[in-house]
Amino acid sequence: MAKSGLAARLYRGEADLNIVGKRKLWFGVAGALVLIAVLSFAFNGFKLGIEFAGGNSFQVPASVGTLDRAETVVDDALAKEAPGVEVVTAQKVGGAGGETYEMRTGQLSQEQANAAKTAMAQEFGIQADQISGSQVSEAWGSQVTSRAFLGLLIFLAVVSIYLVLRFEWRMAVAAIVSLLTNLVLTSGIYSLVGFEVTPSTIIGFLTILGFALYDVVVVFDKVQENTRGITANNNLTYGEASNLALNQSLMRSLNTSVVALLPVGGLLFIGAGLLGAGTLKDLGLVLFVGMAVAFLTSILLATPLLVLLKNQDPRISAHNKRVLSRRAAVARGEVTPKGAPRPAPTGDQPVDPDAALAGVAPKVGARPTGKRPSGARGGRPGGGGGNRPGGAKRR
Amino acid sequence: MRPGRQLAVLGFIFVVLYLLVFFSGGASGGWKDRLEPRLGLDLIGGTRMTLEATNTVDGKPPTAENLEEARQIIESRVNAYGVAEAEVVTEGNRNIVISLPGQNRDLTDVGEAAELRFRKVLKAADGSGAAAAPAPSPSVSAAPPGSVKPSGSASPKPSGSASPKASASAKVTASPSAGGQGGMAPAPSASATPTPSASPSAAAPSPSASAEPVPQSIEQQRQAVQQKVGAAAWAAASGLQAPADLTADPSLADKLKPFGTLSPQEIAVLTPEMQFNVPTITCAQLDKRPAGSIKDPKQKAVACEAGAKNLLDVAKVEGTDVKNASAQLDQTSSWVVSLNFTGGGQEKWTALTRESFNNEGQACDQTALGQDGKCRVAVVLDNKIVSSPEIQGVLTGDSQITGSFDNKSANALASQLRYGALPVTFEPQESQNVTATLGDSHLKAGLLAAGIGMLLVIIYSFFYYRLLGSVIFLSLVLSALLVFGALVVLGRSIGFTLTLAGIAGMIVSLGVAADSFVIYFERLKDEIREGRSPRSAVPRAWIRARRTIISANAITLMSAVVLYIVSVGAVKGFAFALGLATVLDLVVVFLFRHPIMTMFARTRAFLSPRVSGLGRALPARSAESGTARNPRVKEA
Repeated sequence: MAKSGLAARLYRGEADLNIVGKRKLWFGVAGALVLIAVLSFAFNGFKLGIEFAGGNSFQVPASVGTLDRAETVVDDALAKEAPGVEVVTAQKVGGAGGETYEMRTGQLSQEQANAAKTAMAQEFGIQADQISGSQVSEAWGSQVTSRAFLGLLIFLAVVSIYLVLRFEWRMAVAAIVSLLTNLVLTSGIYSLVGFEVTPSTIIGFLTILGFALYDVVVVFDKVQENTRGITANNNLTYGEASNLALNQSLMRSLNTSVVALLPVGGLLFIGAGLLGAGTLKDLGLVLFVGMAVAFLTSILLATPLLVLLKNQDPRISAHNKRVLSRRAAVARGEVTPKGAPRPAPTGDQPVDPDAALAGVAPKVGARPTGKRPSGARGGRPGGGGGNRPGGAKRR
Repeated sequence: MRPGRQLAVLGFIFVVLYLLVFFSGGASGGWKDRLEPRLGLDLIGGTRMTLEATNTVDGKPPTAENLEEARQIIESRVNAYGVAEAEVVTEGNRNIVISLPGQNRDLTDVGEAAELRFRKVLKAADGSGAAAAPAPSPSVSAAPPGSVKPSGSASPKPSGSASPKASASAKVTASPSAGGQGGMAPAPSASATPTPSASPSAAAPSPSASAEPVPQSIEQQRQAVQQKVGAAAWAAASGLQAPADLTADPSLADKLKPFGTLSPQEIAVLTPEMQFNVPTITCAQLDKRPAGSIKDPKQKAVACEAGAKNLLDVAKVEGTDVKNASAQLDQTSSWVVSLNFTGGGQEKWTALTRESFNNEGQACDQTALGQDGKCRVAVVLDNKIVSSPEIQGVLTGDSQITGSFDNKSANALASQLRYGALPVTFEPQESQNVTATLGDSHLKAGLLAAGIGMLLVIIYSFFYYRLLGSVIFLSLVLSALLVFGALVVLGRSIGFTLTLAGIAGMIVSLGVAADSFVIYFERLKDEIREGRSPRSAVPRAWIRARRTIISANAITLMSAVVLYIVSVGAVKGFAFALGLATVLDLVVVFLFRHPIMTMFARTRAFLSPRVSGLGRALPARSAESGTARNPRVKEA
């Protein structure tokens, strides 16, 4: 039952996962991962593609045969003279001066380039001086990267203002911090695993920006709705209300991520499976990693962080105290709770104090908006109770 | 708005878009050709041109930093053509290789220009080769828009048949505006068609008066030219102290006629005075002089602007004195080019503006003065005058060139100024066609990936949302059609090209578009779970989901806009695609999904759990049949 129960509850937004309560764990994990990522930047660095690092190019007369053959030969020559370097792009260049094939390769030293040229000439059966070679700069200049990062900074500034206006500054801070964590962790994975960074990677990386915030905004939207006027009653602490919102939008987040990851998975599958390497794989990979991380940070980091910040607010912390003391009073039997008596947490709940809180959370005033008449809740007291006793504590 | 009307708006957008696809400017060929989006360099190849750079100081290859700087400027210039993703790389130690998508493109003006000089305009004359001497011409003195002072007064504007060019009018003021109140009359302009008139006359030959010492080799070349034109013509030309008035002295024109047949290279070796004074040397010839002909800052020079010949003083300020130049909007929201000088450059510039403003020693001829009676200073790039603003004051700080610029021309001038600040000249080599780096197989694989991705999304949505999946399916098809149409139209109108990365981006964006459905449907589920009938749940869920969708899309749009404005190169192209996809997503959400759902909610089938997938949100009702099956569905 536990398994199907979880899925069913997920579907109804009643999963009761205590995410906010365990925030110390998430912060610890996130902090450790960020630390690892930063250390990896420092010691591992990134493996940059030819577009950033520059490389060599060879011009071979088109008389040697087809482009494919020329590419194979050049690749073989390179494998012999400079292991690890291969042809990145092969093009036919035509003009009044006759047609040539141009191969761009990774970086070679002068000796390697000369040796490779000789080897190629031998294989093609032409004179070595018919092949010309030169060094090529990066196509993706440092300017492109620096401007992209400038754009990133400006975007962060603009979006912070937007979030402050749309929500409030604490939400803006939590959202931006979780976005930054997301970016750092994604880059960290690239640095650690040693995936090659290409222009497509950078572009995919920038796509994650919007996506990660998108996720967070949707969750915060729900949190905001759930916590509007929360101080007016004594049923829920801010953390509990946020946790409830998180649970209610969990299925949505999951769905969103699945729907967005499916096409990306298709890209990755085709890119890596059929073509081996190239733009599609690079883009698919960075999006896959980034979106997966975005899903996790939006759930596990953004909202707990928001609660942490919110609890610093005197109004909220006073409210939380009031709720807790009232709850303690109820437990001691001094005050009669307003709602129906609540069954004890059932077996499928982890037994720890935070989990107990989470169990409480959804119970009362699940929607503080107050639009729903309480009768609706009472109307089906045994709803879902047939096979899942835990469900009764919700509605 | 009623659902029908929203769908009608969507239909209208569709019709307009596809009318544009098939019939807008640039659409040609068969149906299939008209449906082709513009593909990027990696997919269909393009045109390549190599620029060979030479350091103008010592003739050696330029330094690596200079070459890289030039590469960046060329890159931004190439990208100013549109959002086509061009590739600009340096090759070896003196080549810059430019590749643009599309075969047989004209790239000649990309690598153009190099040496920047600021020279005071000493004299001006007609450069059309026409017989008429410089004469006041009311038609040129029409003030540019926004100019304050009426013009067309005393200062004679040399001009033949005039066609004033808006971009030619300019003035320099201190920023933020120290002495620039008056409007500036447009710079001299004349029809460029050379029509050398020949009416014989006799002129008194006088001994040669070549003022500056010249290197031996040039002296030899000059002698060769002298032989070519003949002694009589040479003597006549050497004797001229001012632009010859051929109508007054018809026999002179005959004598000077051989100069009209000289090649641009031969013209270049003549003394500046001769180039200026001989009316049969036309601007058409002067403009074609080899690059670097008038680069020597210690020599006077002749250059043309809008068909008028200008005799220019020695260059007192050079390109390397310019630290930065940028196009800006001033307080009156007109475009200006702001100039910023290096420390030493600033001193020279202040001195130059002082002597120009005061017209010290009456160095500037009447013909060369600006409208306010001040000297003009020509911004000379290579062999041409880019702009010759009148100096409006002694400028001790940053300066602005104002005039009737628009965004594009101001940016172009700023880019030329920055570019000209480099001590490098470029000799364009012949352009070549290159094939695609990725080609067909990658394009097909990309489309296949798109197909698989979309199929997965659609299967998932049918599984999860049952019949509502069909709404998602239809919206995705609509989105795809809109995106495709927009790509075709934008490819033609602003040169937007689709690279493989772009295709992948579009695939991803369609997946993200499907996401706004999830938000909506989950909301709908919430509402139904709370006991609302589908009919009332749909509008309520819509209102709430709309807020979320708009704020989420606003963020994506923000990132697209910021990146588009700030970034360069491929990132700019990407940002454009992202913004486009987001806007189209909003269009589909508002004009298709909402009305369709409203119509859907009126049907009875909508309620059935089997059909819509929403009924399952009602736990009590579905307890018997639903719970056993549904969990597995969701785990899928």
